[in-house]
Amino acid sequence: MTIKIWTLAAFLALTAGAAHAQISDADEAAAFAEDLKNDGAADQGDANQDPWEGFNRKMFSVNNAIDGAVLVPAAKIYRATTHKKQRKGLRNLLANARMPGILINDLLQGEFKRASQTAGRFVVNTTIGFGGMGDPAERIGIPQHSEDFGQTLAVWGVSSGPYLFMPLLGPSTVRGGVGAIGDVALDPAVWIRTDAASFARYSRAGATGLALREPLIEPLQDIKDNSLDYYASIRSFYTQSRKREIANGRTNYDDLPDIGDFEEFDELE
Amino acid sequence: MQMTTTLRRLGVAHRLGVAIIVSAVLSAAPALADQEVEDYIQAILDEAEPFLDAPDQETQFDGIRQLVDKYVDMRRIGLFTLGKYARRITPEQKQEYLPLFKEYATGVYQDSLSTYAGEKLRVTTSIDRSERDIIVNSEIIDPEPGSQLATMVVHWRIYRSRDGDLTIMDVGADGIWLAIEQLEQFTSVIANNGGPPAGIDALIVDLKEQLAE
Repeated sequence: MTIKIWTLAAFLALTAGAAHAQISDADEAAAFAEDLKNDGAADQGDANQDPWEGFNRKMFSVNNAIDGAVLVPAAKIYRATTHKKQRKGLRNLLANARMPGILINDLLQGEFKRASQTAGRFVVNTTIGFGGMGDPAERIGIPQHSEDFGQTLAVWGVSSGPYLFMPLLGPSTVRGGVGAIGDVALDPAVWIRTDAASFARYSRAGATGLALREPLIEPLQDIKDNSLDYYASIRSFYTQSRKREIANGRTNYDDLPDIGDFEEFDELE
Repeated sequence: MQMTTTLRRLGVAHRLGVAIIVSAVLSAAPALADQEVEDYIQAILDEAEPFLDAPDQETQFDGIRQLVDKYVDMRRIGLFTLGKYARRITPEQKQEYLPLFKEYATGVYQDSLSTYAGEKLRVTTSIDRSERDIIVNSEIIDPEPGSQLATMVVHWRIYRSRDGDLTIMDVGADGIWLAIEQLEQFTSVIANNGGPPAGIDALIVDLKEQLAE
């Protein structure tokens, strides 16, 4: 079975729930330009953005050791013992549990339309979606999107800082790492201090790990098989997709590396 | 009275229209549709359809290889993926590297494009980054509801030569570009092996090993 590299793109979008949006009118285009001005060249995925490469590569190999020894086998067991529909249900449930945090970040970013979608999704899926197992909101046309505090910091103009790879947490940047801590604090469940709440928290972390890793078994293996430099591949996929996510699904074409005029080479030959 | 109101409304609409056009020009200057390039990609997508419809992977891969040979400028992409090192590759290294790159990249295209087996793509929009560098976007026609590919935008990056010839430079999905990912891999390999010329030799060795697998 050949699984394709691009399924990763799909899953990055899927797990993060990145909204599909395109520049449809001038206002949006202006807002988009504004968004990207904040981020700009600082997020270019070039080597200069990875001054901690040595450290990151070590963490990457630690991560891969844990991944191969524990996560992938666990994800395979999870896949073997559950039905596709059950896994979808769990993914929905976990996604629904993230909605309050996403809502807060929507509001912090001043994205009120998206905030109302998030709130709408949460209400619809928690009620007629059986606490979030189902996703009736999708069917009635309330699109899903993801936000996190790292993205909020980006919109606020905090530059990404160096690329940072942490075992189990995966690719990120310093801004993303600070954002992840912010998201923990924004999660209402963190502030309930009972044994049951702690148990629920750890179970949720474990379930989230499995639910995220399971659909990535083949795509990641495929990237690994096709790469000359697995670390650089993952860094590139991450930086490219993250940029789009921060722009809330709008793709920017201005900061692509230039094609380059190689005609002069021909003249030399 | 009614006339005045109508005129006023028209005035507002007119001003709004001007504002929208002005802000569109200011904020998205390169966003001009390029019909010639859109037609070029649509024709290739139509040509790809029978291969992508084939039930077996061999036919799909053969078909994609033929299209790649015909439309994708592998020489240019090969030099592009060397980034800043493109100017420092020796003629001998280049002679060895370019065919290896072509083989490697064709495999990546086969793998990536066969994701769309059984689907039909349609051109939606285009953006001129410059007169010579054009992005064309496409999407799947009638995707299965809920499929991962349903909302995915497939981008094509086209190069227009000085003579006006069009070639494909890169393919992307939802903002993730293949040649850019290769650029980042290759420059990383070169840099981590002491830079050129030794780093480029290391890249050539790596490509050979990858193709032998």
